[in-house]
Amino acid sequence: MAGNASPTEGGFPSPVEQFHLLDIVEVNVGGLDLSFTTSAFYMMASAILVGTFLVQSMKGRHLVPTRLQSMAELSYEFIAGMVRDNVGSEGRPYFPFIFSLFMFILVGNLFGMLPFGHYTYTFTSQIIVTFAMAMAVFVGVTVIALMKHGLHFFTFFFPAGAPIYMAPLLIPIEILSYLSRPVSLSVRLFANMMAGHTMMKVFGTFVVMLGVFGVAPMLVLVALTGFEILVAILQAYVFTILTCIYLNDALHLH
Amino acid sequence: MRRDGMDSAFFNGIRTAGFGAAGVAIFSIATTAAHAATGVDAGGKPDGGLPQLDVSAFPTQIFWLIVSFALLYWIMSKMAVPRIAEVLEERQERITDDLETADRLKSEAEKVQADYEKALAEARSEAQGQIKAANDEAAAEQAKAEAEHAKKMARKVKTAETRIGKQRDEALESLMAVASEAAVEATGKLIGVTPGEDSVKRAVEAVSGDGRA
Repeated sequence: MAGNASPTEGGFPSPVEQFHLLDIVEVNVGGLDLSFTTSAFYMMASAILVGTFLVQSMKGRHLVPTRLQSMAELSYEFIAGMVRDNVGSEGRPYFPFIFSLFMFILVGNLFGMLPFGHYTYTFTSQIIVTFAMAMAVFVGVTVIALMKHGLHFFTFFFPAGAPIYMAPLLIPIEILSYLSRPVSLSVRLFANMMAGHTMMKVFGTFVVMLGVFGVAPMLVLVALTGFEILVAILQAYVFTILTCIYLNDALHLH
Repeated sequence: MRRDGMDSAFFNGIRTAGFGAAGVAIFSIATTAAHAATGVDAGGKPDGGLPQLDVSAFPTQIFWLIVSFALLYWIMSKMAVPRIAEVLEERQERITDDLETADRLKSEAEKVQADYEKALAEARSEAQGQIKAANDEAAAEQAKAEAEHAKKMARKVKTAETRIGKQRDEALESLMAVASEAAVEATGKLIGVTPGEDSVKRAVEAVSGDGRA
């Protein structure tokens, strides 16, 4: 619940209160709570917005693109170039997934910047959402690697050319770094989004609390908002390019 | 997990109203109303940790993530990506085609220009040949005319010279006769002797021979 939540300890509302979910439609399947929450709403909204935008803007199939078509083509070519540069031609079958991932996270992050109070929700500030996406990437990439290289995949954990007596040290390190991929991937996005929105909330509270002197934090807030939009785009890019790099590792084993 | 079914009504309202300024206004009114209606922390879990670590909210989010992402992936792979790829490919093809046409037209134009220049050079050399021939002809005619003229002139000079010579001879002849006569008469008057015709002639010839020489 949104409104009730503000535990105003000493008149200072909790800056993380914004991350509470609101139920829109309560759904309960066999005791499992699958309620349609604000997070779910924005996930669906992202999917529908991206899908509609890409399909509708290309409807004209203009030889000389309109503005919207140009945007769709630019985003397509941006990710296509990323996949081509980081994965190569073998990455083509995975392009729709990577393009979906980028657009989904990008729009999700940017939705978080909408000024709709408690009804704005940044689903990428939910660790479970980012972790689920990161795990999907991790598991998918590992399965692709195992299918392509079979048991040869395990040579990935021992860098070619390293002296054999280093194996006891190198292999655990490589395995650990491989296993930490989904953690770092998910925590990076989650922490960035959460920290940014918390900061904005804190400064927003200052603006209200300081009255006339709130102009100073207000200016900081303006800068922070711009910065947050940058972070929203940047983190979507980072998540996507790391996915490309992991996919490249899976396809080419270093 | 801290949720409130009441808010769903507001959210539905917003969905129909759209995310306009009106929507924002409704939001704020709704929020205030919800505050008043439910009071603080009604039925929620105790506050404290991060809301994101509330495990009870995990299944719904994973479920809706899968649903929404699957939907997006389906739209993407079935409609959006093939369509964009097709349009881009078409454009690339069109550009390649146009470039090829331009190349072809350019080479054609170059060929036409080369032909034109060749024809021009041919015409120029032909014209020069004609000019030269005409010049040569004119020069030859002139030389011929000059030669004829010189011949004519030479003939005229020769006839004139012969005529002059004849006239001089005649003049000399008559001069000798006059001189003989004068000598006879002068001899007769001086010495009263009339010399013979033969001796006078000899004497005159002897004298005039000096003069003629």
